[in-house]
Amino acid sequence: MKRWFAVAALALVVLAGACGSSGSSSKPAATIAPVLVNGALPRFDTPVTLRVMTHDSFAVTQSVLDEFEAATNVKVELIASGDAVAMTNAAILTAGNPVADVIFGFDENLLGSVLESNLLQAYTPQRLSTVDKSYVLDASGMATPIDHGDVCVNFDRAAFTNSANQIPTSFDGLIQSPVTNKFVVEDPSTSTPGLAFMLATIAKFGGGDDTSANAKWLSYWKQLKANGVSVVDSWETAYYGSFSGGSGKGDHPLVVSYASSPPAEVADTSLAADESPTGVITETCYQQTEFAGILRGAANPRAAATFLEFMLGGSFQADVPGQMYVYPVVMGTPLPDTFAKYTAPVTNPLTLPYTDVAAHRDRWIAQWSALFR
Amino acid sequence: MVGALPLMVSASQSRGSKRRSALWRLLAAAPPLVFLGVFFAWPVSAILLRGLRPHGSWNFAVFGEVFSDPSMRRVLWFTLWESIASTVLCVIVALPAAAMFARFRFKGKRVLWSALLVPFVLPTVVVAVSMLGVIGGGGLTGVNLNGTVWAILIAHVFFNYAVVVRTVGATWSTIDPRLEESARTLGAPSWRVFRDITWPLIRSSVAAAASIVFLFSFTSFGIVLILGGISHRTLEVEIYDQTAKFLHLDIAAVLAIVQLVVVVVILMWFGRSQRRRSVLLEQRSASETERSTETSRQRWLIRSNILFMAVLFGVPLGLLVVRSFSTPNGWGFGFYQALTDTRGGSTSFVPPIDAVGNSLLFALLATAIALVLGLCAAWAIVGDGSKNSSIFSRWTDTALMIPLGTSAVTVGFGFLIVFDEPPLNLRSSLWLIPIAHAIVALPFVVRLLVPGLRSIDPRLREAASMLGASPRRVWWTIDVPIVGRALAAAAGFAFAVSLGEFGATAFLARPDRPTMPIAIYRALGRPGDYNFGQAMAMSTILMVLTIVVVTVIDRFRPAGVSEF
Repeated sequence: MKRWFAVAALALVVLAGACGSSGSSSKPAATIAPVLVNGALPRFDTPVTLRVMTHDSFAVTQSVLDEFEAATNVKVELIASGDAVAMTNAAILTAGNPVADVIFGFDENLLGSVLESNLLQAYTPQRLSTVDKSYVLDASGMATPIDHGDVCVNFDRAAFTNSANQIPTSFDGLIQSPVTNKFVVEDPSTSTPGLAFMLATIAKFGGGDDTSANAKWLSYWKQLKANGVSVVDSWETAYYGSFSGGSGKGDHPLVVSYASSPPAEVADTSLAADESPTGVITETCYQQTEFAGILRGAANPRAAATFLEFMLGGSFQADVPGQMYVYPVVMGTPLPDTFAKYTAPVTNPLTLPYTDVAAHRDRWIAQWSALFR
Repeated sequence: MVGALPLMVSASQSRGSKRRSALWRLLAAAPPLVFLGVFFAWPVSAILLRGLRPHGSWNFAVFGEVFSDPSMRRVLWFTLWESIASTVLCVIVALPAAAMFARFRFKGKRVLWSALLVPFVLPTVVVAVSMLGVIGGGGLTGVNLNGTVWAILIAHVFFNYAVVVRTVGATWSTIDPRLEESARTLGAPSWRVFRDITWPLIRSSVAAAASIVFLFSFTSFGIVLILGGISHRTLEVEIYDQTAKFLHLDIAAVLAIVQLVVVVVILMWFGRSQRRRSVLLEQRSASETERSTETSRQRWLIRSNILFMAVLFGVPLGLLVVRSFSTPNGWGFGFYQALTDTRGGSTSFVPPIDAVGNSLLFALLATAIALVLGLCAAWAIVGDGSKNSSIFSRWTDTALMIPLGTSAVTVGFGFLIVFDEPPLNLRSSLWLIPIAHAIVALPFVVRLLVPGLRSIDPRLREAASMLGASPRRVWWTIDVPIVGRALAAAAGFAFAVSLGEFGATAFLARPDRPTMPIAIYRALGRPGDYNFGQAMAMSTILMVLTIVVVTVIDRFRPAGVSEF
């Protein structure tokens, strides 16, 4: 009997204590001084634990991370928080009293909400000067670009073999009869690449300000619909369940995926670049940049700044393609061989100003949904 | 804690004091209720309040906005009828199998009984990709059900079949077959034997199973997204999107409350039909009640059941296993070998094989928590049959079930805002994983234990103590053999639930300690044969592991059951 009382009483005490102490103070964020020492990462005198919040596709080679820990005396604890959208919203919900010190992996489509919700504190990494300027979107120093990729239509080379049935090379090719019922896309309301492809059509055809059902970009989607485009919930279902190329198990030879997907399908690296099982329609590519930032209320802002510098350092940047299938943002970073050989160069990807995306995204999704649901 | 049970039971019985037994029951109910209060009710109400009372003032206008939105009304209606249809369909197709397991001896029975739990633990996305290979058009059958409500219903039967077969089958096997046999001897046709003899005896377990199937179908997420196409949306999908995608916490709160109300109403209704049980019946052990098949009709029952399972489970799961061996270089173990590969030592590629250890550890902890709390709760629910006690039982039972009818994202986001201060700064604690799994497993444990405990005739205990048995001996010779079987089944379910849990784990798992479903999902999130194959190989291991673990637990019978 005593045992029961003890358990119940303990739980109640804990509960009451926890209730009583809620209500967080929002201290003003102090500016963080530059951390690099002669261009190198600083070393902390006492061991520090740094918590990094990431989406669940984050990956880095263990030895690269070990080097960082050994050099700086900072122990990294990774916290995965679902996909990029769920992670960002979890961070917004806990703004000011964050789960972690650093957040990594929100893209330009989330940048607007991140900046609006006063989630981050500013730090402009000293190494930002090595980054290709076209990826530096936020002038306030809140969001640091780390990597970039492109969402593009991928094709199954084996399905396009004769002259009557050639690989489409443009948006226009996707609404022609040879590819009727052959194209699968992801739902922009549930999938990140799906959203990027919808934004690509808005960037391409315009009409983003048109709130009617006759917006120019929607006319393109009407033609896609008439040509039997199929829409699925996620990249996994589209690529493995519906796509016929490479490791896909379905019967659609065209799918919305990434510019970096084809190298993953090459088992035999003696193949020529134009013989890889899958390829990319470069005209359809939409740019996606991933950012990192220091969360406001971080326990260790200086260690967090050190981690940002590390992510822009040579070893992390060179590690990014092999681990996360994306490109480094620091100019002159060498690419792995298969990457260089089997990814088509995307010279002029489509983009939209992130402020436009933040302002109109929900309405665009609603317009799209009205057509497809 | 388990050790405290015999004393409690006998103390309450031998003294026979109603008041005293009520106090005991209240105390027994306390740990599970406090547990749920801290780890479920508190985070959920915090997130609901954040939505409905954002800046210190109530925002009730959002209720009107949601209810006047025709697309929301459509979502609610679809969720309701889809889950009722799934439940009815699942019970209809699973009852014959429950009869088969309860009544007949046949080859491979034990393995099949354990294997039933496999679909239950597999991650939705894996099963869905396999199912697309069968009914996705251009697949094995050439039939294209992708995006139709049929695909959703079939998948719901696929995942929930075991719930009905195992819950009802376990109860059915304790019913003395001589009851049915004498009715038949007296000339009753089979349908009358079923209607008048069997059904009243299994009805409460059918209601228990059906309420769980209903909850799973009502809160269906992955299946609806992947197989239902974009035009079918459940309340759960809408809540996830409004919370995690759009951070519209006000709309999400309204939807979560609607979900909660529907779940409670339906549970109360099921609860009523569950309590309407007929007589206290002496239970028989399974070995006493099973018969070998004699008539051709009985053999036909077994064959058709097995054929049904072979088609429903064998085909998609077989395809999955085949794909795990089909490497680009021909048949082989390539993908399995790759599981131990650290792949250049990536942080997210802790060798996937490590996930097996993590999963087993979390499942062990979750099972232990769920069994201890489940025993307390079940004992409190069974009560003494008085009116007060039955009201108390009804509410306790319903309270335990509510988490199954609540969206993982509501709880997950609730965790984020309540466990953010010491002493409960648990947001990145690994403990949250077994705790979350235990919350999901608890209702299964309770539902399997309650019928067992309830069927103990108090006169048995009274007789034993009258004859001089010590309280411990009464517990050991009366309660344990009866509850033991239910306890073993409950442990199996709890373990399986933990092995397969994905929704909550995805929010809580740390990259360096992935569970098997997380590792599978991670591999499936990347392109290439190598990643897809690893996901299939890992799924196959998860299947085999489930069969092994559940077989071992099913075999475990407390000593003394044969004397019972």
